Parts: sequence; structure tokens; C-alpha cells
Amino acid sequence: MSRDIFIVSNSTDELGGVTAWTHQTARLFTEQGHRVHVIGIHASDRKMALPAEPGYPVTALYPAHPPTPWTPHGIRDRFRIPTRRREAARAERKRRAVARLSELFATARPGAVVVVTQVWAMEWVGEADTTGLRVIGMSHESYDYSRASHRYRWIKNHYRDIDHWLVLTEEDADRWAGDGFDNVGFLPNALARLPHVPSPRTARTVAAIGRLTDQKGIDLLLDTWALVAPQRPDWRLRLYGTGEDEAALKAQCSRLGLDGSVEWMGRTDDVEAALAGASVFVQSSRGEGFPLALLEAMASGVPCAAFDCAPGVREIVRDGEDGLLAPAGDTAALADRLLRLTGNPRLRDALGARARSGAQRFSEPEVGRRWEELFAFLER
Amino acid sequence: MSDFSCVITAGGENGGSEGPDALRASVASVLGQSLRGSEAVVVLAARADGPTRTAARALADSSPDRVRLIHPDPAARTTGALRNAGLDAATGRYVLVLTPGERLHRHACRNLWQAGERSRADLVAGRWSWTTEEGGKEQEPPWQGELYARSRTVAGFADAPQLVVRDALVTGFCLRREAARRHGLRYEEDLAHGEILFGPLAAAAVGRIALVRRLIVTGRAVPDRARDLAALVEAHRRVAATLDAHGLPALREERERAFVRDHLVPLARSFPRLPAARRTRVAATAARVLTAPVPPELPPLERVAATLLARGDAEGVLTAAYALSRPATVCAPVTVATGEGGRVEWDEHCSVDVTELGHQYRVFGGARLMNRLTRCTAEKGRLLLEGRLVLPPHLAPDVAFTATLEFRARGGARAVAFPVDDVRHDGNGVTWGARADVTRLLRPLGVRDTAWDARLIVEAGGVRSVSDLFGPQDLVEGTAVRFAARPRLGQLAGDTWEPYITLKDHLALRLTARRRPARATRRLVRYATHFRPARKAKLLARALRKRLDRYRSRSFKATTYNTWLTRLPVRRGSVVFESHMGRCYGDSPRALHEEIRRQGLKLRSTWSYDTSPAGFPDDARLVRRWSWRYLWALARAEFWVDNQGFPQHLRKPARTTYLQTWHGSAYKRMGFDETRVRLQNAPQRERLQQAVHRFDHFLVRSEHDVATLARAYRLPEDRLLRTGYPRNDALVAERTRTESEGRLPRPPLAGALGIDDHKKVVLYAPTFRGGPAAGGKQARRRLLLDVREFAERFGDSYTLLVRAHYLEAARLPLCPPGTVIDVSRHHDVSELLALADVLVTDYSSIMFDFALLDRPVLLYAPDLDTYAAERGSYFDLREKAPGPVTATQEELFAELAELKKSDIRHASHRAAFAAEFGAFDRGDAARQVVAAVFSRQGASRITDHHDRGAGR
Repeated sequence: MSRDIFIVSNSTDELGGVTAWTHQTARLFTEQGHRVHVIGIHASDRKMALPAEPGYPVTALYPAHPPTPWTPHGIRDRFRIPTRRREAARAERKRRAVARLSELFATARPGAVVVVTQVWAMEWVGEADTTGLRVIGMSHESYDYSRASHRYRWIKNHYRDIDHWLVLTEEDADRWAGDGFDNVGFLPNALARLPHVPSPRTARTVAAIGRLTDQKGIDLLLDTWALVAPQRPDWRLRLYGTGEDEAALKAQCSRLGLDGSVEWMGRTDDVEAALAGASVFVQSSRGEGFPLALLEAMASGVPCAAFDCAPGVREIVRDGEDGLLAPAGDTAALADRLLRLTGNPRLRDALGARARSGAQRFSEPEVGRRWEELFAFLER
Repeated sequence: MSDFSCVITAGGENGGSEGPDALRASVASVLGQSLRGSEAVVVLAARADGPTRTAARALADSSPDRVRLIHPDPAARTTGALRNAGLDAATGRYVLVLTPGERLHRHACRNLWQAGERSRADLVAGRWSWTTEEGGKEQEPPWQGELYARSRTVAGFADAPQLVVRDALVTGFCLRREAARRHGLRYEEDLAHGEILFGPLAAAAVGRIALVRRLIVTGRAVPDRARDLAALVEAHRRVAATLDAHGLPALREERERAFVRDHLVPLARSFPRLPAARRTRVAATAARVLTAPVPPELPPLERVAATLLARGDAEGVLTAAYALSRPATVCAPVTVATGEGGRVEWDEHCSVDVTELGHQYRVFGGARLMNRLTRCTAEKGRLLLEGRLVLPPHLAPDVAFTATLEFRARGGARAVAFPVDDVRHDGNGVTWGARADVTRLLRPLGVRDTAWDARLIVEAGGVRSVSDLFGPQDLVEGTAVRFAARPRLGQLAGDTWEPYITLKDHLALRLTARRRPARATRRLVRYATHFRPARKAKLLARALRKRLDRYRSRSFKATTYNTWLTRLPVRRGSVVFESHMGRCYGDSPRALHEEIRRQGLKLRSTWSYDTSPAGFPDDARLVRRWSWRYLWALARAEFWVDNQGFPQHLRKPARTTYLQTWHGSAYKRMGFDETRVRLQNAPQRERLQQAVHRFDHFLVRSEHDVATLARAYRLPEDRLLRTGYPRNDALVAERTRTESEGRLPRPPLAGALGIDDHKKVVLYAPTFRGGPAAGGKQARRRLLLDVREFAERFGDSYTLLVRAHYLEAARLPLCPPGTVIDVSRHHDVSELLALADVLVTDYSSIMFDFALLDRPVLLYAPDLDTYAAERGSYFDLREKAPGPVTATQEELFAELAELKKSDIRHASHRAAFAAEFGAFDRGDAARQVVAAVFSRQGASRITDHHDRGAGR
């Protein structure tokens, strides 16, 4: 059955994972025969490389990020006339944006669905007229991550009474349910595409892909590698990515005496090639949502060692079956996993092969099927 | 055909007394489902009453496509039969049975459906909640949290035993209708509360079960256990039989225990609120139906309550109910059996073993005693009270005693005493009676002291034992016991005394207004304090208080300190000491303080204390931690001396020298080596680094410290002082003393603690296990060591000193006097170490210090491997330990018994351990540190008077 699907996110072209997800899913839905309309609350200045001819309409409600609401605190604030006028103008612009959204929604045929990818966008969707449409909220981060941020309050305000909303893993959904959200379900992100040929797993290379920032824990990875390198002198650690901490990390690398075995590869656009040249993938993040890099490595048949830092990681890697997990932050344990993987080609092949087939759970057809199931379920 | 059928019965016999409102609420919750294909199947009994019929018809008429009304065979009368009729009539893919009054959560059907479709299970169960008390809060049964911690699918109910051990499947689950038909699942028609049996039967039949961590049903009624006891027992018996039939005797036993805890104990607890006639009736029923033996592995008071219920002893159950809410009160004339072990029994009629309660070690005056009020009436204008105080023979005082009745104003200090004229002491109790002229003698003010609690005070030889008067609620209720009252403020404040039983089941008097003038005054006062302006004023006051609280908050203080106070000039020669965040006066800061005093250096000492200044020295200025005076002292101090860390948010002023003495060598990973810290985000780690950068001197006791602590906190070499710990000077001196003079006489502390000279002293000091305590509260934890068993086995030859970590507090059971002493509150650990002959610990740094004494150390670490894996360690404890490492209590006790023989074997280990971890501890640490830090910088400047107060 062909449906009208509106995907509403914060921005249409902001650089980031959710935007990539939005366009990937829009393409997937289009391929499945749905009529997709991607709506962003605003257009962004830090643009992301997008498909030139998307094949579906893309609309931004605001040309740039809308101003944040303002409420007067105290008596003095009440007399700030210019601010009050700005606030009135903001409210008026928001009304217009909501009206525009309602207009778009009004064109939908019966059975249409609105997918709200981020909770902030729900402020507009919640005010728009959605009669006859199914609204599905989403949160692309783990429960702990939301809990620690201001988005927790937004989710409380906007998602508690919504028809249905989704997180990435069942564990996250359970934790939200324990918090009083009984309308929460889960659906994983999809892997964009499966490489045709798996990695030969012959190069003596361990790869890590990620921005060089604190969250990705590259400092922990270097500490780990300092334990591994002396025992595996013929192995190399390749770090793909750039970021604000690059200088500090390189200094740490030299201090640990690892310059000989660590290769700084910089940013890469050809992840597949990078993975094809690696036999082991390692991820040492302090926090993650649903790490696609890990998934891509597994799809390439590269066995992974990772910190068990979020439900998303546990969901992707089944410890001992298609990868090895170490307690988050425990560098000695991660080093042990790396030693096991680098020292045993048979183990690498077994885990890698299983990882490649296991990653199918998150292939586009599979995730697309789950979306179809969800649409049908919500109509019951 | 619909997707989901919800069967609701109306008007069934033995199914409770739900009215039409309950039916409406349940049906409305089905209609409000987000799964729109859900229907309500209302089964209306032929004998249902008028309002229920009308309500059912109206519901069916209002939404004919989603509410179906079923009129079963008139022979179907019981709820069970009606439910079966409902199951037959259901059309949905899944079917769920609701008791009227229970409401489905809005997304219940969706969640069950989704889980069922995903898992292909035939039974899907989720969480439910009930209202435990009248008007109380809706809550889930406590065991549900564990059962539904994660959504999962199990292959059979044996994988989720709580499903059948508890009454988990009484509601909140659905069955695939086709599976229910295939397995022939039916409700027992003759059984009230048939749902208790149906759930486990269904679970046993279907195999795969999906559990979802979602709230499915709310508003379940708690069964009226007093009314339905027989039915509950019968249902439980049949479930137990089912478990037996499935060959699961372990689960059956667990279920027997759960039944006592979930049904019998709450029933016993409800006794004080039941009228006397009802109590007798319930007890008689219990005696008839409770034929199974009471399961042995229950806590003693639960066992007492169940035993007395099964015996039909209504008065005994009442006593047990009182004891259950007050385990430390002696409620029965416990009898101590003479002979082996000294087993203690509840009383002569009920031989349940209650040794665990420790009543045998309680003494008159120290123990709370139950005082059962038996009569409360008016006699010739006086309040006549009669009662009986429980006084077991071993508690009874030897000398003659007197008794007085006292009324004490609640929340105030005023008390009025009345003589007790009739006191008779027999074998195990005191029967007493009193006539109190409350009208004449009890003169309240009339405002704020309108409630007065009654207490009986028994005094013998200067020792007082105070007891509240316990009575069931109906003791006073209904009887017109009232007395004229004469408040000091006049009759308008109140005119009548009314005895009543408080919520805690104790007798009290309250001042009420019965006559018109007083009632009018009360109304007026109420109006004045509750009308609009008064409410507004209250709100305003609250807002103001909140604003003021902000100025007392730590964040405000820290900001003020960092921006303003740190600009104050340094006060030459002033030192702020703090030990373990102000919790004690001890450790190295104390040793340094004493050394400074001994040398007579002209330094002005300030000590910080956290909660109470008791035990801190008189010759120092004392400031409370985080008080303004504390911050002022810190801002102006020339030296900071501390063993753990002054508050992280406080900057160190530029001219201040920070001496960090530290509180122990490291076994577990610390600082930036700790996983918890490594996982923190960059700003958090930066904050820790800033806090550590404040240290100017850091004491180490060996190269091990340099390699571990100094590295973990990233301390540069020039900050380290290789002097050893000043606190350990006393230990080195003690070792020298005992080597030349022998162990006796012991230090004076032994006398203060009441330790026999012929007993050896074992110090048990486990390490900190929890995370940071919430809100600064001390976490109370169970010790890993069974202290009572230790006392039993070694009480004759050893005294056990228990030292909980300074961030935690231990809860110790009552033991024979002189066997176990809690020294957690003692300020200085070094003194305790000097006293101890043997140390028992796990990973505490105390072992590094104790090794200096060259006395036996036993390591008791049941969780060594998990602890080492979780926290990480710097070395293998088993390899380097200064004594035997034991994993079980049995091993520990065996080692302790064999101490003399085995000690020679471990002496060399101990010496090596002391040499490796305490190389710099030579007994002169305090002198060295004072010379290095205070004398060099401080003394030279103290004489430098013209430099003072130069305004920096």
C-alpha cells in the first residue's frame, strides 16, 4: 500500500547523523512506493552533502534557525518593549510555520504517517493539525544520553501523550517504559548498503573510525594500544577521522611511544576501502547511540572489539558471537579483546563471517519491512 | 472479529462487591485503548442488581460495535463461571480478563499485541499496580520490579519463577485465544479469587511466555484478606499442588514463603484495625484453613505471626502485628532456653525461635517494652486505664519499682504525670491500672498542644523504662469516653478531652470542640488561616524562604568564595586541618596537629568538622564544613592540611600551601586509573585535575605510592614528600614498645571500650563498597561478615571491633555484651590498630598500615574477583597479601581458629609486605613533615612581623 509519509526533522540539511538518516529513510520509503515529503523546521548554514536530485520534495519552514522563545522574568523584563515585540514576531512567525505545516498535512491521503525524527520538531508538529494522520515520534539517542540532557524535559512534554514513538533499541525502550512512557517502541537504524566483497582480513591492521573528540575516547584507545603494541609488533593501528583533540592525541601517542605503530589517516570518505584494508575494528567511545561505524565494519566482515557503553552497542554486537565487548572504560579488558582478535586468525574469520551475516538484521530491506509492519500495526 | 477481547464480568457471586462505577471504569479503559480493534465483552450475571444492569446496557448501547453484552446461562452464577462464558464469547486474537474496577493502561493492548506478535508467545504478561490502602497511592507490588526488569521471552514459566511464586498472573496478562481453547483453559467455577489459580495454570500450559516491561493494568483492588482468607488459602493450595504436579518442589516451597509474606503477614498487620469480634472470627477461620506447617526459612517475626494465625490466637496475632512494625520492641515474654546455644522462644505457648531478635541481650531501661492497653473507660469523671506491660524474667529489675502514667504534649516538652495506684508484678509482666483526673490536672494551653500521648514510666533503682500504650483501634472507638477540658486559653480553645488510638496504635488524648462557642471559634480560626490573603501570605513566606535558602546553598557559597573571599590577605601562620571531609579528628592531620603542638610552633590551628564538634580538640578553633566561617578560614589560611580533599569547587588562594597527607596506599585503582573517572566527559575530568593541582605536597609511604597514586593523580615529582604517614608514627612506636615490654598493659582505650585483658582483639574493617551516597546520607549496609556467628564461635576468646568505612555505617545485630563493639564512630583508626591483635579486612588500605605492627592479618574477600574486575587493582592480592586470603566465612573462621600455628608461615609474607608498601614509615614522619613544610616556610615568616597584613 502506498502512503503519504512526512518526515519532519530539525533541519533539512544540517551536518549530522539524523539528517543522513532522514534522507536515507526517505529514499528507502520512496523505493518502497510511498510518497515522501521531507520537512525541516529550518535550513542550515553548515550544509551536508546531499543527493543532488532527491526524488522527493524537501521543504524548510524557516530559512534559518528560528529564535528561541522568551518569557519575562521579574518586573524589569515586563518593560523591555523591543524584546517583547521580537517575541511577538517570533510567535507570529511560528503560527505561520505551523499553518504551513498544517497545509502540507492537509494534502495527505488517508493512512498518511508523520515521522518526527527529533523531539524539538515536535513543538511544531504538535501544534499543527494532524487529524487523520498517525504521528510517530523518534529519539536517536540512548536513554542515558537523553536523561542527562535538556531533551529529557522536551521528551516528557511532547512524547508522553503522543500515539507512538520510537527509540533505537529494546533496552532503551524498556528504560523509558520504566520511566512511565508506555507508548514507546523501538526500531533500529538501517545500514545504508552492504559491501559486495568482505574484507580479506589479511592485513595486519586494526582500524578505528570516528571524530577525534572526547566522546569517541581515542585517548582510551591509545592507552589500550600501548598495552597491545609491545605484544603485536607487526600490527598497526589506523585512526580515521579528524577533530578538535587531534593535537593533544598525537602528543599522547608520542608520549606513549606509539608513533611507530599508530597511523593517523585523517578524514576519509571511502569507509569501505578503509575497512577492506583492516582485519580488526575497534571502538572505544565513552558514549554512543546506535553506532553505524560499528555496523559498517561488521557488514564488511571485520570483527569488532568495542566498549560496551550503550544499549545500541550491545544490540549490534553480540558478545562472543559476532564481536567482542569490554566493560566501558576498562582499557585492560579492551586490550585483552584486541590481543585475542589479533592473535587468532581463525577467531577473526569466524567472528567476521558471523558479523557480516548478523549485520543483515539491520539491512535496508529488513528495516523497511519493520517500518511497514509498524505502519500496519498502528492502524489496528 | 476484533483484535483484542477484554472480558469483564458484572454481578457474579463471590467475586467481591464492585458496583456499576467499577464496571464503567473498566469498560471506559477498554474503549480508550490506542489499539482500536479492542472490544469489551461484558458478561452480565442473571442475578446482577438493577444499577449494574442499567450501567451494562447503557455501555453496550453507547458503543455497540466495541462493547458486547453477554447474558450467560442463568446457572452460571459465580465469577468463575461468568468468566468462562466470556472466554467462550470472545472473538479477538488475544483475550484478557479484567476484574471490574481494574483499568487498562491506554497503550496496554498495543503493547501486549506487539509483544505477542513479535515473540509468537501464547501468553504475554506485563506490570500492574494496585492501591494498597484506602485513598493511598497507587503502587506496584515490590517484587514486580525484578520480574519485569527487561522485556524478554521465556521458554517456560520455570525461567521466570516469580510468575508463579508470587501472585503475578492475577491480572495484566493476555492469552492467545486459540491457545486458551487448545489447552482447554478454564476458571474454576467454585473458587473465589479463581484468577490466582488460572494464571499459573495458563502459564504452565502454554510454554513460551513473553514478559513486557509496560504497565498494563492499574486500579486492581487489594483482596480483603480478612474476609476472603479461606478462598485465598484454597487458591494458593491448588497453585502449590500444580507446582508439585510439575515436579517443582523448590518453587512450591518458595511459594509457601511468599504466601506468608504476601497474605498472612499483611493480614496479621491489619489486626489492630479490625474490631474485636472480627479478629476472633478471622483467627478461627485461620485455624481451620491454615493446616500446612509454617515454612521455616522466614524471618522470626513473620514466622511468629503465621504460627499464631494458624493457631487461631487472636490476641497473640495482635501482639505479633505490633512486633512486626517494631522489631526492637520486646512484645512477648520471651523465654531463654537453658542449655546449648541459649535458644530464645517467643513465649511459653509459641515456641518459635526468635534468637535473632537479640531480646536476650537487652536490659531493663535500654529496651522498649510492649504495653498492651486492655481497658480505657470513664469512671466517675476520671479516665480509667488498665494494661499489661510485658516484662520477661531476665529483664525484670531486682529492686522494687514504681510506675507513673504520663501525658506528654506532642511536639512539645510539657508532660503531666499521674500516679498508678494498682501495680502487680507476676512472672513475666506487670499488670497495672490508673485513674487519671484529666479534667483537673491536664491543663493544655489550647493552641498547638491539642494532642497528648500517654506513656507509662516504670522506674527501678534510678533506671526508667518508658512504654507507649498499645491498643487496637476499637478499644476506644464507639465508647463515649469524654472528659471536660479546661485549656488555659479558655473554653473557646476547646472543651473536651477525647481519648483515641493514633495511627501508630498508641493511646493519646486530643482536645476537641464539642460545644457551640468552641466550635465557632475553631471555624473562625480556620477561616482566618485559610482564606485568601492568608494563603497568599503563606506562599510569599515560602518564596522568601526559598530565596534565603539560595544564599545558604553550596553553589552560592562556592561562587562567593572563589570571587571574593580568595582576595582576602593571608593570615600568617594559620592552618586549616580537615580529616576525611570533616568526619573525624584523626589520621595524619591529627598527628601533624599534635606534633605542631608538641614542638610549640606558633601556628593558629583551625579544625573543620562535618556534623558534630564532639571529640575535636579544645585548643583549636572549630568550624563547621561549608559554613561561612569555614570558607573564611580557608580563604585566609597559610596552610591547608587534609587527607582527602577540600571541596573540589574551592580554589586555593595563591599564597596558600596545601599539604595533602592522603589516607592510604592503593590496592584498588584510583584517580585517572579508575574506570569511572576515565569514562567521565572532558570537563568533569578537567575539574578533577584542577582539584588535584591544588596539592603542593603529597605524602607517600613507599615507591609503590609513587608508581600508583602519584601517577594516577598526575602529580609531578617535586610535589612528593617521601616521609611516610604521620599517623603511622604511633604504630611504629607501639611496635617498639610491645617488642620490649610485651602487649600488656594495653593502651587506655581498651579500658574505655570495656575490653577484657584476657581476650584477644580482632578488628574488622571492610572497605567502602557503594558509590557516592545520595544527598550526603550515610548508606547503611549489611556487613559481609556474620557478626552474630562470630560472637557465637569466638565470643569467649575474642572481642570483635567493627569499623565501618567512614562513608558508611554498619547495622550490627544485638550480640552478647563484650563480644562485638561498634567502633565506627571512633575518631582515630590508628588507636584502634594499636589495640588490635588481629586485623580482618578485605581491600581497605588499613592493611598497609597495620603491617607495620607485624601482627596477624586475615583477608576476608568473598568478592575478590568481581571487585578486582570492576574496580581494577594495582597488584594481585593473593600473591602479595600479608596473610591468608579467605573467600568464605568458614575459611576465615578456620584460619582464625588456627591462628597461632599458621602465623609463623605468614610472618615472612608480612615482613615483605611491610617492607614493600611502608618503606618510608620509620616513625618520624610527623617531625619530618613539620620540618619540611611548617618550620621552613612558616616559622621564618612568623618572626617576620613587619610583613604582616601587607594586604595581599
